[in-house]
Amino acid sequence: MKLINKTIIYYLLISLPLLIMAGFCSYFLIRIELRDGADEALEKEKANAIQLIHSFTEARNVNLSFDSLSTIRVVAMGTGEVFTDTSIYDREEKEYVPYRFLKSHYSYNNNYYLITVSKTTIEEDELLEGIFFSFGIIIGLLVIAFFIVNWLLSKTLWKPFHKTLSELNTYDIKKHELHTFESATTREFNQLNSALNKMTEKIHSDFLQQKEFTENASHEMQTPLAIVKANLSLLMQSPNLKEEEMNQLQIMENTLKKLSALNKSLLLLTKIENNQFHEQANIHLNEAITKTLSNYADLIQAKNIQIETNFESKPVLEMDPALVDILLSNLFQNAIRHNKEGGKITVSIKDKQLCIANSGEPLTVNKEDLFVRFKKDDASKDSLGLGLSIVKSIVDLYGFEIHYDYSNSLHTFTIKF
Amino acid sequence: MKILLIEDEPELRKSIKQYLHQEGYLVESAADFIKASEKASDYDYDCVLVDITLPKGSGLDIIKQLKQNHSKAGIIIISARNSSGDKITGLDLGADDYLSKPFDLAELNSRVKAVIRRRNFDGNTSIVVNEITILPEQRIVKVNDDPVNLTAKEYDLLLFFITNKNRVVSKNAIAEHLWGDDSDQMDSHDFIYVHLRNLRKKLAEKGCNDYVQTIYGIGYNFKVNG
Repeated sequence: MKLINKTIIYYLLISLPLLIMAGFCSYFLIRIELRDGADEALEKEKANAIQLIHSFTEARNVNLSFDSLSTIRVVAMGTGEVFTDTSIYDREEKEYVPYRFLKSHYSYNNNYYLITVSKTTIEEDELLEGIFFSFGIIIGLLVIAFFIVNWLLSKTLWKPFHKTLSELNTYDIKKHELHTFESATTREFNQLNSALNKMTEKIHSDFLQQKEFTENASHEMQTPLAIVKANLSLLMQSPNLKEEEMNQLQIMENTLKKLSALNKSLLLLTKIENNQFHEQANIHLNEAITKTLSNYADLIQAKNIQIETNFESKPVLEMDPALVDILLSNLFQNAIRHNKEGGKITVSIKDKQLCIANSGEPLTVNKEDLFVRFKKDDASKDSLGLGLSIVKSIVDLYGFEIHYDYSNSLHTFTIKF
Repeated sequence: MKILLIEDEPELRKSIKQYLHQEGYLVESAADFIKASEKASDYDYDCVLVDITLPKGSGLDIIKQLKQNHSKAGIIIISARNSSGDKITGLDLGADDYLSKPFDLAELNSRVKAVIRRRNFDGNTSIVVNEITILPEQRIVKVNDDPVNLTAKEYDLLLFFITNKNRVVSKNAIAEHLWGDDSDQMDSHDFIYVHLRNLRKKLAEKGCNDYVQTIYGIGYNFKVNG
């Protein structure tokens, strides 16, 4: 729910009982005032009646009003006075009409009188109706006003907030640009923006630092590796090495080679993920594939692998040429490495889709783990387990899609551009 | 032949120096930018090996300095930063080659020799080892003046052996030389064996001695007496 609607609901929830209470209060206050007024009027009439009694030469009953609701009656005995409220049926109006009576005993010249004066209090009912009606209108107007005011507020007051929000939504750390949120005139939004500025600055610098760290770590490792490698080369020249020692040297050299390949691949992955390949060129995919295949002619021939190509379209991709090389090399290396002796590789391009399929044993790892770093098939001990991660990161970088499938003893990678 | 080695890492400097010294080069070394800059301007070298990241400066500036002084030295960048940007900048400045760490000393040796060969004889040179003659510019190999028809890989393999003759060259070094970065990804040792077998066969057909000794476990040694 929008904040603005929530505030409206809260405002209404608070203002409704308040308004109702205010309605009741004003009703009771006005009613008291009216009653006082009515009572005063009754007292006045009573005074008139007393004056009338004083003019009596003898005790008698008098009707003060034509409907004989206000009367002077001679009674045997009695004291005190009392106000009462009664409803009396009005035949003409055909409804009950509220009346207020003042019954008062009075003695004059040893005669006792009961003075009854009355007054309709019909105004009071109308007043109540009026109050409820006007408060209803006030509530209705308030609701409408809330909506209008809030709509205007959201249009103007909340504008900087919405701007910040949409800027946040489009913020991408990997774009390597520091975003600054403009200061707003509202203090709260200004605080929000400056907090966001601080935060993005921190994220940005952390990101740069981390990026630098991975890169530097890989670079720093190259020199010690170079030292070990150089010294191994020198050691190898030693004329009196025994067979076993040479074996050990071989193991060390192979391991060192693996280590430096690992380091290079990690560095490459970091560079791809950090978007450090900026060059753009129009790559003719068919030509690039033909070139890559010719690079691996040795390997393909050695394993007696048959190559089938089926290029139905000629896609031109806008990519970094180095990344195209890496992408295709990794895919074909994969297809060759996991192939069997005398197997085949089929390469087909159709519309905006590249399929590379190779014969080979089924996977021993999960299909889902195929692109995960260091997840590799048990059979391929020499593999680093980074090749397909590199493929995936390049595919992701350009917003392509890659799928793997295994059927009819064929491993198939499909890339959609 | 005089080589200037500019490398700040003492252990690496020492082993490169030792290897190149055994190859018969006179190796001068410098550990930082200032020393390197001094030596580069005071003496003439046939080849300069320069690391890009140096204390007190950049190796790229050494290349600029050498070029400003119209030095005839061949320049090889040896860098830990395997970055195509650095490579392009270095080559644009006039460096002849770029080798990223970690590299094999046999590979460095073959690059140094190639650079010096191109610089000193403008390419018109031949490498002669007993009955074998190689014309590197034309990529022609002759045995007793009789041309041998070699594939590109076989030629590269033979030249690599000869530039590192009388040395144990590991299979990994050969693989890296023949296939570059791709050698990481493949079972290259078998391929070396296939190429070597073919090379031996072709050379033997022309009456060439078999100089390639298999060093158990590690690799090969192209052994030429004298």
